[in-house]
Parts: sequence; C-alpha cells; structure tokens
Amino acid sequence: MEARDLTGPAVAFVVVVALIVGGAAVLPIFSGGDTPEVSNLAQQQADLDAARVAAADETGEITMDSDATGKTVLVDKAHGNEFSDEKLSTLVNTLVENGHEVRFVTQEQARGSAWNESLRSADALLVANPTQAYTPEQLAGVRAFNDAGGRVLLLSDPASSSGSILSILGLGVGPQQPSSGGPGLSSTFGVAGHSGYLFNMHEYQHNFKSIYATAGSGSLSQDVDRVVFRGSVAVSTDSGERALTAIEQTKLSTTRRADTYAVAVQSGDVAMVGDTDFLAPTDAYTADNEAFIGNLADFLVSGQKTGNAPTPPSTGSENGTGPTLPMPTL
Amino acid sequence: MNRDSSAASAKALFVVAIVAAVLVSSVLAPVAYDYTTSTQSEGTVSVITVSGTISASTVDGISEDLRNARTNDSIEAVVLKVDSGGGYVAPSERLYLEVLRTAEQMPVVASVQGVGASGAYYGMLPADEIFVLSSTEVGSVGVVSSGGSVPLPESVIRTGPDKAQPTADERRQTVESLKRQFVGRVMQHRGDNITLSREEVAYAKTYLGPRAVENGYADQIGALPTAIDHAAEMAGLENYDVTRQEPPQSLGLVLLTSQTDNGTMIYKRSAQTNGLVPVTRPLMVDEIAPYNPEVNANGSA
Repeated sequence: MEARDLTGPAVAFVVVVALIVGGAAVLPIFSGGDTPEVSNLAQQQADLDAARVAAADETGEITMDSDATGKTVLVDKAHGNEFSDEKLSTLVNTLVENGHEVRFVTQEQARGSAWNESLRSADALLVANPTQAYTPEQLAGVRAFNDAGGRVLLLSDPASSSGSILSILGLGVGPQQPSSGGPGLSSTFGVAGHSGYLFNMHEYQHNFKSIYATAGSGSLSQDVDRVVFRGSVAVSTDSGERALTAIEQTKLSTTRRADTYAVAVQSGDVAMVGDTDFLAPTDAYTADNEAFIGNLADFLVSGQKTGNAPTPPSTGSENGTGPTLPMPTL
Repeated sequence: MNRDSSAASAKALFVVAIVAAVLVSSVLAPVAYDYTTSTQSEGTVSVITVSGTISASTVDGISEDLRNARTNDSIEAVVLKVDSGGGYVAPSERLYLEVLRTAEQMPVVASVQGVGASGAYYGMLPADEIFVLSSTEVGSVGVVSSGGSVPLPESVIRTGPDKAQPTADERRQTVESLKRQFVGRVMQHRGDNITLSREEVAYAKTYLGPRAVENGYADQIGALPTAIDHAAEMAGLENYDVTRQEPPQSLGLVLLTSQTDNGTMIYKRSAQTNGLVPVTRPLMVDEIAPYNPEVNANGSA
C-alpha cells in the first residue's frame, strides 16, 4: 500500500474532527451556553427587617436617695456563694461612693462565733446564691440580726447544681434543720422562691429568659418603670410587698403556667430578688435596672437596727452547749 | 459406523451451540430488558440522602447532587431521604436554599427516616410534601449557641474591644435573629398546614410523626418507597427509574477526625460531671440528638 493511498482517508478524518469539535466550540455562542439563570433566592426569602435585632438602650446612672451615712453592709462569701465580684462591683461601688462600708465575710471569718460577731457590727446583710449550709448558730444569728432591724437582702438565681437559697438558709423548716427545706411551709422571713426559671415567649429582650418586670409597690420599685432580668426565679411573700412583677404572659419553666409572678419582694426588713444578673456591669444600665440597683442600695442602708444583735452567746445560752437561739432584744 | 460418529459429532456441536447461545443470551437479555425498560421509563426520581450533622462538607455533597438533579434532563423529581438531627446554621440555610432552588424546577418530596430536626428540618422546608414514619421525630425549630466568650489572655493582642470577644448580649441578639429567620421560614413554607402559632413553633419542640402530621410539621405518614412513588406521581411519571445518591463512604471518618468549623465551642451540661463540658460535635448520635437536636449558632472569626 502506497502512502499516497492514505492521504484521502487522513484528510477526511481531519475534516470530520475539525467540523465536530469546531461545531461544539461554536454552538454555545448561538445557543447561549448551558449556564442556568440564577435568581437570588437568599435575598428573596429573607425578611431582613424581621431578622434585625436592635441593641438595647443603656442609659442612666445608679444613684442613691438615702441620706444615711456610715452604714456597714456585710456580704456573705462564707457559704460557697455563687456570686461574682463583677456583679457585686456595681452595688459595692454605689454604696462606697455614698459613704458606706462594705465588708466581706469569708469562710475563715465565719467559723464559730465569728459570724455572729461580724453581724453584730453590721447594719445590713447581703446573701446571694449560697451553696453551703448554714449552721444552726449562724441561722439563729441572722434571725436575731433581722429581728433587731438589721436589713437582709437575699439574691437567688434559678437553682442549677446548687440547692435553692431557701433550703440552704433553712427557711422552709425549723432553725435546727437548715439543709432540708420543704415546700409549702411558711418561711420565717416571710419570703420564698419557686423552683425553675421564668420565661416569656411573647415579649422579651433578645431572649425568652430575659424577662421584663414592672414596678409594684414599696420603696424598691421607686422610679422604676420596668427592669430586665436574665434568668429569674419567681419569689413570693406572705404579707410583704411585691416590688417588681413580671409582665403578662410570663411563665414558669417547671409548670409552664402564666401568672403574675413577683421577681422582687420586700417583707419588712427582708427583701428577696430572684436574679443576680441585673447587677452585672453589662446589664446594670439596661431598661431601669440602674434605678432598681439604687433602690436596693437604699434598702440596705435604710434599716433601723437596734441593740447589739445578735446577742453574744454567753448571755444567750445557759450551758453553752446548745445552739444559739434568737434572743429577745431590747 | 462413520455415519453414526458424524451424526453424533453433529449432535454434540448442536448442543454446544445451544449452550453457547443460552450463555450469550443470559448476558445480553438483561441488557435488552434494561434497554426496553429505560425506553419505557418516562424519567428518573433521584433519591438524595441527607444524614448526619449538617455541616459545610455534607452540604457541599448534597448541593452537588441537587445541582445534578436540576441539570440532568432525565431527572424529573427529587426525594430527600432525611435522617439528621441538625447541624450548623449557615450550612443549614445553604441546604434550604439549594432545596428551594430545586423545588422551583421539579417536585421535591422529603422522607424522614429517624430524625428530621432543627437544621435538617430547615433544609427540607421547601419540599412539596414531607413524609414521616410513626416513630420519626421532626421539629426543634430553634438555635443553640454558647453565650458570650471566655476572656482572652492579656498576651493576645486585638485591634478592637469586640474582636473575637462577643458579649453575652451580642450572642443573644445573634441567636434571636437566627431564630426569627428560622421560625419565619417555617411559617412561610408550612403556614397553610401548620396549626401552631409562631410563638408555639419558637418553643422548639420536637414532635413524633403522628403528632407532626396533625399539627402540620409534616404532611403524611409513609416510608421511603411511598415518598418516591408520590414524587414520581407529582412529576407525572407512571414508569420511572430511581437513582440513589448516598453520601461518600469516607464521611464517617471525616466527621470523627475533623474539628469544629469555627471558633465557637458548644457546651452542654453533663449529668455525670455536674458541670459544663464542651461539645465539639454538638449533634453526635448519642449525645444531644435525637431528643435535643439543635442548630448551633455559627460564630465567625
């Protein structure tokens, strides 16, 4: 076979290939290619206005109205209190700026009779989220302190791993059994907290657990329109005042029932607030939280404590072996 | 004698020829059968598997399958075979948009196997029909995220106070915004069927199949073959082929070895340690899912 005989087929081959490949290359120019039309579904589908969440306004100053001076506020840090210094700082700064003294009682400083000695020289006591039980002597001391007009402020977040403030303080049962609380029994302090946390799926600030509460009665609600509590426990009082009440449609996590839940109550010289987060510097100026913090500071320094309560044990117990009982004061 | 032997050999040859013919036919017959079947088939239903954590990599694969379904002329309908408790937010939205784009072109039917919750439910929202089993769980329309951030050590130099340090309230705003988007899309796509209010949906409850059909989270009780048949019927196919797109086999390994896609750590409270423990894969099978399958917010660096 001559090479010349192959020329024809070779030319035919090249021409066919050139036609097919060239045609394939040119075809998209006329057909417009196979790129599908792309619509911006992400933008069409998103309701951007509804998705925008505005930041909360943070305005105002924490001020005190009370003209009392030189009062001593004792902060319990002796019972494994889950309460950060950061949260405490807003209240402590306010008190110190207004000429009051804040003392901390550590675990070492609360042993034996030291706890009652500390109380004796104080005008008010702040207890937040204790996780360790109080001894009967300590509890009796607090009661005697309160009976003598010493102000007691209880702060309680919803219980997590720690027990509720009531069972720790032994408020639900008699003073001799501090660590086993029982629901439904009257509290010696006239205040009590519910289990679970409060939430509101209808109206809230940024999160269903960040509930709004509006002013009720009493000095704690003065100049307060509404406050924001982030994770709050419902508190109740028998004869006291409901200082702050959660807004409508607020529900309790454990029962899922809507009710008018109080989140801050005052019963005489005892006040209880179902949250500690509102004290944190980041939340202290949200809504009217700053006004409420000022009111709490006023509450702490406005007591009229009389006598030298709690009385030293030598005069209170005859044999010195039993627990210190609250003694009548002068 | 010669005549006998030649007759015998002719007979043997005849038998060999028949055997050979049967053998060849047994190879060719299925091909011929398939050919006729395929000429009878009016189109193909593509079954695309959505399983495991909804992450960037799993959505990449599913997106590719969905794109193929859209561009392949023979594919007339898509069935999503879903078994996932959710995953990350942004991949879940990507999945949603890809399914939506597909649903604009052809019928898309979701068939939930075990769990179709949170991000997986988000992804199947644009489906024309959602099939569940009596034991299937769907729902969990919500977002979980870590709140705030752990303070960085002083040795870390940042350019601004918010760099890599979102505050708890910023996280709350982010999660709230993501929740509104998720709930909004549920109401948009399931709005006609759903008997729950926006507020009730936002509780993020997970519902079992029969309840889900009742409240409109799903449409019908039915297994995968029913869903495939329904998809074909919606596409007007009487005779159809089915192709199955399974996730790559290496997926399990990837899940076990890869780290979180972002800097956000998810924590859960452990009953054993009574404290917070980090969840690097928040939806690993035996941990939160299927009873608490959540989408977690995707923090960015």
